[in-house]
Amino acid sequence: MARTPHQHEITQLLAEWREGNQSALDELYPLVYDELHRLARRYMSRERKGHTLQTTALIHEAYVRLVDQKNVAWANRSHFFAISAQIMRRILIDYARRHAYAKRGGGARQVSLEEAATVVPDQSHELLRLDEALKTLAEMDPRRSQVVELRYFGGLNNEEIAGVLQVSENTVTRDWNMARAWLYQQLTGSSAN
Amino acid sequence: MKPERWQQVSRIFKSAISLDDGARSAYVVGQCGSDEALRAEVEKLLESYRKANAGNFMDGVAAEDAASLLLGENELEPEPRTLTPEQQFGSYKILDSLGSGGMGEVYRARDTRLDRIVALKVLSPGISLDKRRMQRFRQEAKVASSLNQPNILTVYEFGEVDGLTFIAAEFVDGQTLRTRLHESRLKLGEILDITIQILSALDAAHEARIVHRDIKPENVMIRRRDGLVKVLDFGLAKTTEKKVAPEAAEAATQLKTAPGIIMGTINYMSPEQAQASSIDERTDIWSTGVLLYEMVAGAMPFSGATSSHTIVQILEKHPVPLTEVARAPADLDRIVRKAMAKSPDERYQSAKDMLVDLRALKKVLDVKAEVVPSELSTAAIAVERTNEADRGRDKKRVLAGALIAMAVVTAAIFGINLWRTSRARTSPSVAAPVAVPDERTLTYWITVQKFKNNKPYQNPFTLAGEINFEASYQIRVNVRSAQPGYLYILNEGPASGPPEYNVVFPTPTANKGSSLLPASQMVRIPEKSWLQFDRQQGVEKLWLIFSAEAVTDLEQVKQFASEQTSGLITDPAQNKSIKNFLDSHATTKLEIEKGESLTTLKAPGKLLVHAIKLEHH
Repeated sequence: MARTPHQHEITQLLAEWREGNQSALDELYPLVYDELHRLARRYMSRERKGHTLQTTALIHEAYVRLVDQKNVAWANRSHFFAISAQIMRRILIDYARRHAYAKRGGGARQVSLEEAATVVPDQSHELLRLDEALKTLAEMDPRRSQVVELRYFGGLNNEEIAGVLQVSENTVTRDWNMARAWLYQQLTGSSAN
Repeated sequence: MKPERWQQVSRIFKSAISLDDGARSAYVVGQCGSDEALRAEVEKLLESYRKANAGNFMDGVAAEDAASLLLGENELEPEPRTLTPEQQFGSYKILDSLGSGGMGEVYRARDTRLDRIVALKVLSPGISLDKRRMQRFRQEAKVASSLNQPNILTVYEFGEVDGLTFIAAEFVDGQTLRTRLHESRLKLGEILDITIQILSALDAAHEARIVHRDIKPENVMIRRRDGLVKVLDFGLAKTTEKKVAPEAAEAATQLKTAPGIIMGTINYMSPEQAQASSIDERTDIWSTGVLLYEMVAGAMPFSGATSSHTIVQILEKHPVPLTEVARAPADLDRIVRKAMAKSPDERYQSAKDMLVDLRALKKVLDVKAEVVPSELSTAAIAVERTNEADRGRDKKRVLAGALIAMAVVTAAIFGINLWRTSRARTSPSVAAPVAVPDERTLTYWITVQKFKNNKPYQNPFTLAGEINFEASYQIRVNVRSAQPGYLYILNEGPASGPPEYNVVFPTPTANKGSSLLPASQMVRIPEKSWLQFDRQQGVEKLWLIFSAEAVTDLEQVKQFASEQTSGLITDPAQNKSIKNFLDSHATTKLEIEKGESLTTLKAPGKLLVHAIKLEHH
């Protein structure tokens, strides 16, 4: 039986993680994953009825539910958003993986972006390839990869990202431009890497 | 690519994209010198940059792009085992499927022994293995069959066939109250009839020391033939001898981990349920009050953008009186208020007490109705309807009837655990002496109603403000603060020349012309209609002024507030003095926390002055 996360527990874990305790992250991860996953599903059941899924709303809600607002340092909020973006990525990639598996009977076929767009929009493969490309990017340039994660998976705007990464908004914009161009190149297969 | 190379490429790329096309290639060539490979790399990336921009590559967010994935997810889950028409199931013959709920399928079937039609709820095999949910299912059967009252659905049998657990219950040919509410407005007489029958069911249950705990429109069936009301789903019911809080906490965990559970409606939950305090019969009184309010007003009294918002409303907010929202009789409003008193001690102490008042009211109205038809049946009500999820879910099937509602797991108690821990933690810390900073905070959000051919079009939606508005949008500003204070709202149009202001708040109808806003009281501006932009394009400013003390300059212009002139200040001297005030007092060190649907403003000191900018074309 999964534990029900207690607000003070999560708040404590966030603080510990910020202070450099990596095992706190390991404990934090499944708790936040559960909550985001549940909320995502719920949002999607609304989506079916014509609402739009708003990632930030989702993460805000998870934050309100999970974190004890009275005892949280402001910086913890940024950390929570950072971890949430990471988790949203995980959730979507997990979905994509299962989806791709179910559709193709387990075989992962490479589909280019153009092909995917013109033939069948198969987001699961696109997402999986994006995930791979992001991993490669993270090895070369961790910060740019994080900007993509926060923005595309976490739904944060540049100002919020700047707060999380402690850099200027201009830096975020520049990082994003470069990372996006590079990812486009990777996913459309026009790279001579 | 090696990190060093990447750094090199990125440095050139960064500067190159800030240049225009002509200068760009020259710059790249100059930077790369004889390194052809580097130049090719940079140029390719610049080309990708251009294409990515043109194609809006990754402009959205992943969750939106992957929406269909998340939606498709349910299809990947194994199909539940279904029974087909004509199939024999023990002594029952399946006739047709009535639908499926959270715990399994519901069928209309014939009991071949007694030759009667029943509703057969068959638990999914997976759930049969789950001890807790099994327990709930058994509990539902046990409790309902121990109660013998015409307004409580009769359970005939609880058993197992071929490893499938089932409940056979009375088949009600009718619809749930939720479906009924979507069809058309109920007349006051019908509303009272339904409520009286629900209370009669509750009275019998309470008599047996059973609390239902989950009264909501989905759990009330109305028989087509004669309008007889049946209360369903005693699956969450508890006997009052026991303390319920620990079990509720456990159930919350259980619901959380169960797959495929839709977050149920929490809108009918009582404050004590929301806080996981111990609950008794009076929690059902609360939920009946909420339901009664909804039937009259056409909208739920507590309905926030998110479950957390809803819970906060349940704990703190007092809904708009029914007399205002639906021109309901004052006595009815009084009854509903008493049923929805935040403290259980201030509510009706028993279903019987509430029944007495409702019956008396019905009698009075019946007499009146012979003379004048009830105003209510025709009253047009401008209240926002929310909770799309509930509405959509019920459209599916009118009949689905008897047991589906019973089967849908209410995750209502979901929030309990979290709330309890948060309470437990915050109360001691509140006691600790904390220096309260001298600051003003104000929360606002904007409700937008689209209009088409001068008629409201689609449901209103809320947002945190500052977006582009279409000309057909009309808005309402909602403001509240945890602090008491003097609130003034002025509108400044996009016209050029010396600004002219409209007094938007206070007005004679909003807050009775007073600028003093009590702590935690929400104001909707305007209360019942919408703010309309004039045809002029540009940026509309809504000035929010929230002060610890009354502002003399602004108190003077209250006289201009009026519905007819939309509060336009016609005196140039007054406009000038307002402009001076706003220019010199606009908060510079404002902290803006913008959420998805709420914006919170924080200003140091005793005065907050801020303009919400609304762009429209």
